[in-house]
Amino acid sequence: MKKIFLFILFITLVFSSCEKDDICLETTTPKLILRFYDVASTSDVKAVQRLSVWAEGKDTLTQYKNISLDSIALPLDVNATETIYHLKRNQVSGNLVNNEYATITINYVTEEIYVSRSCGFKSNFSSVGFSIDNGWIQSITPINNVSINNESKAHVQIFH
Amino acid sequence: MNQKLMFKYFTSFLFLFIIAQSFGQTQKDSTNYKTGYGIRLGVDISKPIMGLLDENYKGLEFVGDYRLRKNLYLAAEIGTETNTTSDDYFKTTAKGSYLKIGLNLNAYENWLDMNNEILVGFRYGLSNFDQTLDSYTINTGSDYFPGNPIAIGTISKDLKAHWIELVLGIKAETFKNLYLGFSFSYNILLSIDDPQGFKSLYVPGFNTVFQTNTGFGFNYTISYTIPFFKK
Repeated sequence: MKKIFLFILFITLVFSSCEKDDICLETTTPKLILRFYDVASTSDVKAVQRLSVWAEGKDTLTQYKNISLDSIALPLDVNATETIYHLKRNQVSGNLVNNEYATITINYVTEEIYVSRSCGFKSNFSSVGFSIDNGWIQSITPINNVSINNESKAHVQIFH
Repeated sequence: MNQKLMFKYFTSFLFLFIIAQSFGQTQKDSTNYKTGYGIRLGVDISKPIMGLLDENYKGLEFVGDYRLRKNLYLAAEIGTETNTTSDDYFKTTAKGSYLKIGLNLNAYENWLDMNNEILVGFRYGLSNFDQTLDSYTINTGSDYFPGNPIAIGTISKDLKAHWIELVLGIKAETFKNLYLGFSFSYNILLSIDDPQGFKSLYVPGFNTVFQTNTGFGFNYTISYTIPFFKK
């Protein structure tokens, strides 16, 4: 009887330990992916020199601090319908005097979607629109009706 | 008395002994120990105890079985549960009642008039429940813009689930007609209603629903047999 009891207990433990699903493995809220192109030759990718990126009223994103890249992925604020990002570049020497600034304002509608027990809800973004100020960014395309529901490719092209 | 006669006497005596013993043996073999047949009713004591220890849980389950044959029982459980689960990104409450019905086979060969059981069984279970999404936080996948906790309390009413269970358990007669039992079940969902844009994550009677639509349950029962007759 005692052996049987232990056997049942053992089976319980074995089954319950391999059926856990508390690690989130699915993709969650997608980031906005920007890709930088050469304004003079619009099919060529052109990296931005010494780029720093931060959202309005926030610290610089740690992974985009004085770095040269041709594409970046930016998180959007799911608690609002607008996120403003400031992008600083320095194409010359890294001296303060050569810093150039640009601002991108992103408008969107959030769509909450249930993923799983461990991942919870994610938010996709629809009707995404972009506007730029008169900084170092010359143009952006597309400028509206973008949907962000994955991170498989760039959502917008930025020409500079 | 000469030696030859003495030997003959001994041999006959031995022979008689063997005969007597073999008769005695058959007589003992045919003795039938009678055990009680009737309805056995009980309660799962693990659920009220869990309710005392965990403020997020409330449950009550009554169990019963009826002995059909020597080793076969018709078994049923009926109960209610309210359970609040806090996961990483949301909190949900499931509340409802359930009924399970099936058969138990006793795989234990009892000695004499003992009445213990090693049970192998199956159940068909059904539950009617409500699920409330108490609160949630959007998983933004970044610390830069974390999601705000949102308390909503959306109730999805009258959800239904059906499932089957494989049951393993033991029951021991501790006093006359009084049984202590422990059983464990592996549950497989047949169908389940999910709330709009969400999922049913806990079903009363079924327990936590894993991603594979399976689950585990157990109970610890005290039950009493009301004997109808002996056989």
